Amino acid sequence: MADKKKRRRADSDSESASQPFKNLLKSDDQILQILKSFTTCFSSSSTSKPLTLADLALSTTCREVSDLSLSSVQSAIESLVLQLAHQILSGQGFSFTVPSRSSSNQLYVPELDRIVLRDKSTVRPFSHISSVRKTTITSKILSLVHQLCLKNIHVTKRDLFYTDVKLFQDQIQSDAVLDDVSCMLGCTRSSLNVIAAEKGVVVGRLIFSDNGDMIDCTKMGMGGKAIPPNIDRVGDMQSDALFILLVEKDAAYIRLAEDRFYNRFPCIIVTAKGQPDVATRLFLRKMKTELKLPVLALVDSDPYGLKILSVYGCGSKNMSYDSANLTTPDIKWLGIRPSDLDKYKIPEQCRLPMTEQDIKTGKDLLEEDFVKKNPGWVEELNLMVKTRQKAEIQALSSFGFQYLSEVYLPLKLQQQDWL
Amino acid sequence: MESESPIETKKGKSKTPKKAKESILKQKSPAEFFAENKNIAGFDNPGKCLYTTVREFVENALDSAESISELPVIEITIEEIIKSKFNSMIGLVDRERIDEALYDDYETAKAREGTSDFAYVLEFYVLSSLDVLKCHLTLSCSNLFSLVQKRLAKEARAQEIQAKNASLGKKVKEHTVSKGAKGRGEASFYRVTCKDNGRGMPHDDIPNMFGRVLSGTKYGLKQTRGKFGLGAKMALIWSKMSTGLPIDISSSMRGQNYISFCRLDIDIHRNIPHIHLHEKRDNKDKWHGAEIQVVIEGNWTTYRSKILHYMRQMAVITPYAQFLFKFVSDTPDKNITIKFARRTDAVPPVPVETKHHPSSVDILLIKRLIAETSKPNLLQFLQHEFVNIGKPLAERLIGEMGPEFSPKMAVKSLTDQQIVRIHQLFRQAKFDDPSGDCLSPAGEYNLRLGIIKELHPDMVATYSGSAQVFEGHPFIVEAGVSVGGKDGLNIFRFANRIPLLFEQGGDVVTRTALKRISWNNYKINQTQDKIGVFVSIVSTKIPFKGTGKEYIGDDISEIASAVKSAIQQCCIQLKSKIVKKMQAREQQERKRNLSKYIPDATNAVYDVLKEMARSHVSKKKRYEEGDADILRKVSDHSITNETLKEKLTEHVEKVDYQMALEYATQTGVREEPSEDIYLQSLDGKGNLFDFHSPIFVFRLFL
Repeated sequence: MADKKKRRRADSDSESASQPFKNLLKSDDQILQILKSFTTCFSSSSTSKPLTLADLALSTTCREVSDLSLSSVQSAIESLVLQLAHQILSGQGFSFTVPSRSSSNQLYVPELDRIVLRDKSTVRPFSHISSVRKTTITSKILSLVHQLCLKNIHVTKRDLFYTDVKLFQDQIQSDAVLDDVSCMLGCTRSSLNVIAAEKGVVVGRLIFSDNGDMIDCTKMGMGGKAIPPNIDRVGDMQSDALFILLVEKDAAYIRLAEDRFYNRFPCIIVTAKGQPDVATRLFLRKMKTELKLPVLALVDSDPYGLKILSVYGCGSKNMSYDSANLTTPDIKWLGIRPSDLDKYKIPEQCRLPMTEQDIKTGKDLLEEDFVKKNPGWVEELNLMVKTRQKAEIQALSSFGFQYLSEVYLPLKLQQQDWL
Repeated sequence: MESESPIETKKGKSKTPKKAKESILKQKSPAEFFAENKNIAGFDNPGKCLYTTVREFVENALDSAESISELPVIEITIEEIIKSKFNSMIGLVDRERIDEALYDDYETAKAREGTSDFAYVLEFYVLSSLDVLKCHLTLSCSNLFSLVQKRLAKEARAQEIQAKNASLGKKVKEHTVSKGAKGRGEASFYRVTCKDNGRGMPHDDIPNMFGRVLSGTKYGLKQTRGKFGLGAKMALIWSKMSTGLPIDISSSMRGQNYISFCRLDIDIHRNIPHIHLHEKRDNKDKWHGAEIQVVIEGNWTTYRSKILHYMRQMAVITPYAQFLFKFVSDTPDKNITIKFARRTDAVPPVPVETKHHPSSVDILLIKRLIAETSKPNLLQFLQHEFVNIGKPLAERLIGEMGPEFSPKMAVKSLTDQQIVRIHQLFRQAKFDDPSGDCLSPAGEYNLRLGIIKELHPDMVATYSGSAQVFEGHPFIVEAGVSVGGKDGLNIFRFANRIPLLFEQGGDVVTRTALKRISWNNYKINQTQDKIGVFVSIVSTKIPFKGTGKEYIGDDISEIASAVKSAIQQCCIQLKSKIVKKMQAREQQERKRNLSKYIPDATNAVYDVLKEMARSHVSKKKRYEEGDADILRKVSDHSITNETLKEKLTEHVEKVDYQMALEYATQTGVREEPSEDIYLQSLDGKGNLFDFHSPIFVFRLFL
């Protein structure tokens, strides 16, 4: 294999003109050596037990949820419903006390490097015109989840929505209330037995069991294995990879999977095709904690790329109540960084001007704590806002479709060029 | 004028020696110039000529009545005169066509074939299937249409020859316009009569007021509808060009015991009136005012809607005037009579003439003012011939001008260079803005009445801005915005209280309303709500774009921002009204909106309770006493879904009642601000019939 590769590389020397910096590349073995030393040093440093919210004596009380067993979810719902029944029967109408998930109720905890939810709640009375709808939807969702508990089955968010399309009107509403419900009951969304459709995929040097079946992710064909929506099913992770490569987009993922990049440099490649869903985030966290591998991220050089990175790293505001389970700390920003545009001489025609909206998002990001904590990121983001240019991962294709897997990534790894 | 003469001189140069040039140099009278460039004054084509004639007469009539503080009563009549009638009018014998091929609208043999083709095709396809019929019909129809179009295009071209100075763009317009004029073979003539109750004209001035272009009474610096004294004269020039008939003027001034009657036309080359008849007649009715009658070529069919729109909007912006508009023709079903009744007797004050603002004058104007001034020295000249220059400022200005200037120097002795210096200083120095006192805006009240009349909206808000300044001329922007009523976003524009109907797309008001107002901010939905925007701008000088008084350009930032803020002010007023309305609606619908969710909510709760009761019965789980009690009742059906529904309904009713009470006490009894309404007095004694009741009398006019 290595022989073949070398031969091919020798043949393609003439290409080096069209693929700049190729001559800088050392041999794969040397790069592997660099990576190995990095990984060992990484895994030894990260053996210490991660901090939890309870370890910190924060002045503000914060809300966190935990995985609950089905029966405890059931009894939580039942006691809530009994309260409601008491209220209704006494002629007072009824109301829910729902933890607020608005951005004013979020708190970034630098020690944990993730967003947590504060303890502010809002009361949702039935007899008010502005909350009657949400209250009704909430009681409907509660009753549906109660059924799931009784029958011990999983349904998707879509299934849930279709039980009463007329009431929910669109899935966004039932999804939002579902998050409210898990927040209210103090359990993770997975504990409610409601899952999202499969979105993320994984390929590379990973073997795990999915509901008892052993899956070898090197033998899953080109597309890789869909990440199971239900993390409980996943177990027995084994890997000889040196790192996990997190890819923002499907296109770059396909390129790397087809080129079997993970065979040249042992790694696990994951993508959620844009904004990550819960399952992918849970899966990434599980991989990271069980396999103790560094996570390198390949995202677009635009504010949204960094935003996606932050969702993996510190959690989304929408689901901050469960950030403890959903976030993967210490993700390295490998590329494509704003400074790479000039460093790798990406031609002008492949860069895009940032829109007003982009620049605003970029500036807003600069105010976010999770960006501020990393001076390297701040520098890169400042550069992006200053040059007003963005580029997608695909911009590298201007040097040939395989430039990404053959030159850019190896060179980055060789130089340990991540932040 | 200027563009003409060099061409003449060139010709002269090539043919004759230089000496002869002087003799060939032609002078063009203003009347000639405007006859050749009548599009400048809005006389582009026969249709527009008819429109502009009506417009000029109406505006003159209004100005005239307002100048003597009389509530205007204006009658305008357009009488259609068909060609044969016109010919007999001027004593021309109608001749039959002998050589058909001589005429422009003659259809060649081939063209006629085409028409018969169509008949044939039609006949044939009646028998064949419907689909084919459709397809062929469109084909042959398009043939026929192209024939008709060809003929109409020719017709249009004939009209174009008359309107020879019309620009290319206008030509295209003309073509599309003539398509509408189906079946109307030849040009029509119209007698336009306008009668008012205004000031009237002094007997001896009448010939000069009509027969001399660029002579007028409105040359002072003040807000007027007309500006150059062109309008009525242009109508006269057009009548001379198209019909050759003179204009008839009757006029009488207040307290005059005679009516001046004058029939005249204009000697275009010399720009002087040519009087046919000028006499005094009896004034039995003590009438004062003017009546002007002119016969012109026109096109009613294509400009009908424009003329009616104009009258309508004029009535909107001048609700204190009464208009009677009549269209008379030989076919009675085409006749129109519209009376725009007076809706108020509050007349805006007559705009006063003001002095020039120093930052708005140019060198020529300064020279003219110097020539006309009665003040002997520079100090007094500055102090009295301009606004916003007091004595101290005048002294400072003179000091700044330089050592060769002194306050006591004779103003008439200023050299050209010195005048340039004064002009430069006027440009650079800082002066207070001119006040808007000399302006007479339409008034919010009138604007409001107008909107209500035009659009029948649900809500109206009006706003009158304070005076602002553009190039030394004060201007006031007033706006009204309405919601509801007529569909879409309707924009009405007025400048110095005349409606602007053309070039809507480029106008500052249209652009502002469409692009710069975020209607959403005011809870108004631009695409769904019915919005009316009225903007009236008054100024001593309206910066019209292009020729004619058609639109105000979007490039003057002072005006654009004033228009924007006026519209926004209206929107802010509307917003609070809209919000209140929404609240009120919420009040009304609260109970219904809450009740509709009751079944869903109780079903959900009851479903869980039922399951719990089941497991309670089977002793799978233990509950506390209160909870167990409920579950027991659920099991033995003493608590059912219905129970929950009833309880919840009770609660909703209670809450609704409380909130309604709260709303009522908070808002109190709110009333829309009351407005005076204008009741028209009934003229004539008429027959009255009274119905008496103990508390009122109901009087019926028979």
